[in-house]
Amino acid sequence: MDKDDMRTEEYSVIKQCMDGNADIYAVLVERYKGMVYNIAYRMLGDTDSANDMAQEGFISAYIALKDFKKNSTFSTWLCSIVINKCRDHLRSKKATVSIDAIAEVSVSKIATPEEAACNRQIRHGIQTALNELPEEYREAVVLKHIEGLDYKEMKDILGINVNALKVRTYRGREMLKKLLKEGGLFNE
Amino acid sequence: MNRDMELIHRLLDGELSEEEKRDILIKIGSDPVLKNEFKEIEKAIHTAKNSDRLIAPASFTSDVMGRLPIRKDSHIKMAKDFLFRGRVLRWNMATALASVCLLIIVFAGVFQFKGKHDLITYTNAPGESNITTVRIDFYSPDAKKVAVAGDFNKWKVDENILKRQENGIWTIEIPLKPGKYNYMFVVDGKVWMTDPNAESYQDDGFGFKNSVLKVAKL
Repeated sequence: MDKDDMRTEEYSVIKQCMDGNADIYAVLVERYKGMVYNIAYRMLGDTDSANDMAQEGFISAYIALKDFKKNSTFSTWLCSIVINKCRDHLRSKKATVSIDAIAEVSVSKIATPEEAACNRQIRHGIQTALNELPEEYREAVVLKHIEGLDYKEMKDILGINVNALKVRTYRGREMLKKLLKEGGLFNE
Repeated sequence: MNRDMELIHRLLDGELSEEEKRDILIKIGSDPVLKNEFKEIEKAIHTAKNSDRLIAPASFTSDVMGRLPIRKDSHIKMAKDFLFRGRVLRWNMATALASVCLLIIVFAGVFQFKGKHDLITYTNAPGESNITTVRIDFYSPDAKKVAVAGDFNKWKVDENILKRQENGIWTIEIPLKPGKYNYMFVVDGKVWMTDPNAESYQDDGFGFKNSVLKVAKL
């Protein structure tokens, strides 16, 4: 199924949901649960919170289906909802770090040899590094390199112009590189 | 961020012209520091791209579906539905004949019926007095495929496909019970279009208009 066919089918599913056929929403949940769950996990760093926020995202999207615009894609719209949920969750935990506060990347959490040894699992290592990135850079790196989206899709999700997104992505990559290197990931 | 680093990032995104690409590759080749930066950033991207993906919990979909709220119509919508919703009237032949006679007497002349929509015609399907066959036409000479999706087929886009006539008009006949139906055309499987000749229109909740078709008992 190409993108246009998928968009047509999804629009049809949404119409049916709005007509009261809630069961068919499972089609969209099945299709996008992997993407949404992974984005939430990479943003939040733990599976329980990721599960909660991903589910919350689907439920909020369902409630707001009447606001979905036909000329956008459901996945993009859903991602923007889930990312906002993740942002709120991070703020509620006061876990964010402002960009200004990080002139130099702090690698204290992954710098010791003992911790570096524990981080030899790539998944854990990359997540540890992502957790250290400022929220804005983390969003850019997750969407661009883990979800493989292009800048236009990222713009639709994050509502930020492409040039600003590129700057965030470039800086995010450089910080990620430094964190992975100092965390021992490049020695594998 | 200096110019060379910006070019390295754009190179990694595949956004450089051939000339820019050649220039920065020469620089990378001749500058060990720049070469190291390039390799490390490339490696960081590779590491991120190839990190394992998690699988959502097995109960994820059922958990979400179990938490969906039940949709409730607003009071305004309920009032509108009460006032304007299509209704099916039950009748018998005696009542119908009496009504016709009354109309003839009252108007004492010719009773003309003219549909609002000259592209839709209504005829009784043989042997089914409560079913009306509705013909829906849509002019789209350049389309390769036209379907109609609406309340009558649960908005399925591949259930009612129109047949193309020689004059660029697409046609389908659908048996329907009396009532009010929202519908739209789906052109080439991707473009949703409102019927320009519909009897009336209704907001579809997405900022567009559904075409509305009312099927009355003849």
